[in-house]
Amino acid sequence: MEKFPLKGTTNLSLTSTVATGQHPLSDHTSYQAVTSKTNSKPAGTAADRSARISTTSLAHPATTSVPVYEADEDGMIDITPVNGGLSNPNYPYSTNGGSGGVGGTSNRQDGVGGPGGSNGSSSSSGNGASHSSSIGGGGSGGGGGTAAGHDGMSPTHSSRFGRDFHHSDHEGISFAGMTDTSDDIPGIGQYEDFHTIDWQRDIARDRMRHRYIMKKRQDSFLDLLKGAHDAWSGWVCVLLVGLFTGCVAGVIDIGASWMTDLKFGICPQAFWLNREQCCWSSNETSFDSGNCSQWYAWSEIFTSSREGFGAYVISYFFYIMWAMLFALLAASLVRMFAPYACGSGIPEIKTILSGFIIRSYLGKWTLIIKSVGIMLSVSAGLSLGKEGPMVHIASCIGNILSYLFPKYGRNEAKKREILSAAAAAGVSVAFGAPIGGVLFSLEEVSYYFPLKTLWRSFFCALIAAFILRSINPFGNEHSVLFYVEYNKPWIFFELVPFIGLGIIGGIIATVFIKANLWWCRFRKYSKLGQYPVSEVLLVTFITAVIAYPNPYTRMNTSELIYLLFSQCGISNQDPLCDYNRNFTDVNSAIEIAAAGPGVYKAVWLLILALAMKLIMTIFTFGMKVPCGLFIPSLALGAITGRVVGIAMEQLAYNYPKIWIFSGECSTGDDCITPGLYAMVGAAAVLGGVTRMTVSLVVIMFELTGGVRYIVPLMAAAMASKWVGDALGRQGIYDAHIALNGYPFLDSKDEFQHTTLAADVMQPKRNETLAVITQDSMTVDDIETLLKETEHNGYPVVVSKENQYLVGFVPRRDLNLALANARRIIDGITGQSLVIFTSAQPVQNLGPSPLKLKKILDMAPITVTDQTPMETVVDMFRKLGLRQTLVTHNGRLLGVITKKDVLRHVKQMDNEDPNTVLFN
Amino acid sequence: MTRAWSLGSVLLLVLLHLATTQGQSYEDKRCKCICPSIKTVDNTTLEGTDRMLIIDNVPPNKCNCDGVILPRIAGKIKEGKGQEICPRCDCKYENRNTTIIKVVVIIVIWIISLLVIYMLFLMCLDPLLNKRVKANYQEHMNEDDDTAVTVGNGQDMHVRDSNVLNRVGHQQDKWKRQVREQRRNIYDRHTMLN
Repeated sequence: MEKFPLKGTTNLSLTSTVATGQHPLSDHTSYQAVTSKTNSKPAGTAADRSARISTTSLAHPATTSVPVYEADEDGMIDITPVNGGLSNPNYPYSTNGGSGGVGGTSNRQDGVGGPGGSNGSSSSSGNGASHSSSIGGGGSGGGGGTAAGHDGMSPTHSSRFGRDFHHSDHEGISFAGMTDTSDDIPGIGQYEDFHTIDWQRDIARDRMRHRYIMKKRQDSFLDLLKGAHDAWSGWVCVLLVGLFTGCVAGVIDIGASWMTDLKFGICPQAFWLNREQCCWSSNETSFDSGNCSQWYAWSEIFTSSREGFGAYVISYFFYIMWAMLFALLAASLVRMFAPYACGSGIPEIKTILSGFIIRSYLGKWTLIIKSVGIMLSVSAGLSLGKEGPMVHIASCIGNILSYLFPKYGRNEAKKREILSAAAAAGVSVAFGAPIGGVLFSLEEVSYYFPLKTLWRSFFCALIAAFILRSINPFGNEHSVLFYVEYNKPWIFFELVPFIGLGIIGGIIATVFIKANLWWCRFRKYSKLGQYPVSEVLLVTFITAVIAYPNPYTRMNTSELIYLLFSQCGISNQDPLCDYNRNFTDVNSAIEIAAAGPGVYKAVWLLILALAMKLIMTIFTFGMKVPCGLFIPSLALGAITGRVVGIAMEQLAYNYPKIWIFSGECSTGDDCITPGLYAMVGAAAVLGGVTRMTVSLVVIMFELTGGVRYIVPLMAAAMASKWVGDALGRQGIYDAHIALNGYPFLDSKDEFQHTTLAADVMQPKRNETLAVITQDSMTVDDIETLLKETEHNGYPVVVSKENQYLVGFVPRRDLNLALANARRIIDGITGQSLVIFTSAQPVQNLGPSPLKLKKILDMAPITVTDQTPMETVVDMFRKLGLRQTLVTHNGRLLGVITKKDVLRHVKQMDNEDPNTVLFN
Repeated sequence: MTRAWSLGSVLLLVLLHLATTQGQSYEDKRCKCICPSIKTVDNTTLEGTDRMLIIDNVPPNKCNCDGVILPRIAGKIKEGKGQEICPRCDCKYENRNTTIIKVVVIIVIWIISLLVIYMLFLMCLDPLLNKRVKANYQEHMNEDDDTAVTVGNGQDMHVRDSNVLNRVGHQQDKWKRQVREQRRNIYDRHTMLN
């Protein structure tokens, strides 16, 4: 019973009576102990068990991989069990054992089990020290040695509780993770690069760790503090993530706006100011595009003239040169230091959050290079935005900071909770929309999003937005450049043009997605992909050459969006606001007016800008520089919306009496706001491209501060999503996930086929299933198996003949454990038996066995072979499985991995299953 | 890494010091008012294309027509007309922090220059020093590149690489290997981030 001391209060009472308040916590801290407990009947002493198992464990050192099963049509297996039912001696938890062995007995068994000095260490790693477990993660070999030393002091007779005391000391450290841990097998519980994580296993590990800390809390004040630290570490972590994200976003905003204006000129008195800041206190009344005497355009420096053909040529030249320089820097920095920093990052983050490992995708260098690169590439005037990369940057920060808290840093499933919160913070700072960020994380990127994570995301987004707002990067009291404040009513009829905008937005988005995917595919499979830097330079050159002549493409895209969103007031003197109107009172409603020639010219320029931006964004997104998609999409939609809005406005001006305006335009007030159309159009295109709905609407109304536009925005987002879904199935992120073949099991899709688990599982008929037996394979056997097969995990069965499932062991853990045992434990040779049971075989001949029970997952998820695939796919989605084992009549039949499921889904959807590349 | 951190913090402190000690030639607060030209009131013509921009440094509660515009145009405008122009003016109080802007821009310039210098170093000089790298690479070949392992073997490594320089070199080699792998994935095999 002491084998499972973590459960039940009887243990506690027992131990507290026997020992000095120290409970024998720790023979099995790895969670398998508890899971096996749930399977077990609460009886059978350790001694009894070990004795019984040792009788069988010497048999069957089968090494060759015999055919595992031969299934007939019904899938029956004709392996007759040698022993069945409860009388099976391999079944270690049978009820027919004696009862009531005390701890001392089993302890002595441990001690006697192996002779000699090496005994101490072997038993410590096998049994006694299995508690200094994988949960703390990444312990040092030296620490393991110390643990063995403790064992050596009391190998045979000392009180186990005393020994446990020493060990729990070690554990306290390892679990709280303050210092380096005393894990005896480093790296257990981690994953290989490009592998899928096992959510269940990680969550169980965390549960175990949590339970341990809860238990320890009563011991001392220090442990109480450690428990408290553990409890709040999630909140502290997201707090730090929010702080850092806000700061980094501030740096990026300021740096990007400064470098963007560097293309036009410089502020010699204070070179760190951009044009607007340079002219901040200038009292000149000249309005020509914000220039003032403190700000020197490049043409002014070189020819001392601001106007004229020569000045234009020089400015043009400098614009292109700076753009090329920034683009070259961005592309070569990305290529040199962190290739993972290219692109938007959201498809990869989605994949990572769904339980995939891409090592160093969220690392330090990626963070630095992405932050610097996005500043450079935005400044280069490329048709891209910094909002998507902001999500990636925030996730990098989340990942890096989670290593401060071993609870998260060492547990991939838990780490994803922090990453979800970080993604929310990223959107929060990108748009100044904290709630939108939380919803974005929930709707678009996250996979596993419990309520706890929702609250943490909320907090994280709040902190990040607050910090960015305090930095005030744009000097407008908001965290985005294109914040506009609206408070104008809209007419019911306007819903029709809004829905029309939604449809146009959906069409533009579909055109964009298809064309961009086509181009990305072309880049992937053609020679173009071999020249990433040249491609960036070429696209930048073309963009700069085309963009400069048109003032609407020359300006920063965020400024363009701001211009299109804002109303024509007295302070706005762009040609877009060239109405024949007279400002009488800034507070009264702006009256409707006829459009002047400037407006018509601006509309034509805007239409040209729309075409240019659409085409350039198609070629830009996917280049090997950091590039986001939100801003170009918003700009496309805003241009469309503004043009439609101006048309509606002129309609209302010329025909104010038509029934559709229901008399609201007859009073002379400005009943149509083109800026609102721009906003709705922006939402429509962005919604069509990303297929967001709720989060999009919330982001948009947080941008405008107007709750009354929720219905127009919703209508447009919905129409756009419908049109987009009808014309092309996937949003841009899903399309890119599919293009790259990431193992992303979309929880939005439904699986509607009638296949069974038996159709999908590996191995197919006539192939053998690679299994490991629980106590009859030697180290050499297992190493041969690892060499000959490439599976990522192996089921452990009772024996080759009795393929009853014992558990599942991941390949990486097995590799590490074997290597570690060979290195650290003396007396382990190729002939040592590898034992996955908790029992100690009485065995005096041959080398001492290697006990690997602690790396065994004794609660693998199993299904029967007749389970419909719909259920299996659901399990994979909802439980986040890495693999499931297929049984028939209780015997192991095969394995279904996530890759199998993904390939099967693709196959059923008539797509090429070979596009699923990763494991 | 720690060296880089301390260096960075020292740099930051120096920058902050510089930023705060230097006189601020630029104001951090302003009240910005935009009005139609005075002519629109005086001549009552509808010729309102050129506007008047007035920027003043006044407290926020004074940032309105009465506090900013009327004192300025008192001489230029007839008595009584002042109240006519006021409702057409748009006044906004804004503030900013030039110190933050300055520090951030200087940091950004520093980071970019450091990265560029390091990149040039890696491109030009590093192939010359490649032999040392090769040797180190061979030495550490058999080690798992997992961070957990590195942490785990901290003690051993401390014994082996007592020299800080060696450790840095080792870290750098590991990082280079990772980047090479990333490059292979993205630029050569095109398995990711297309």
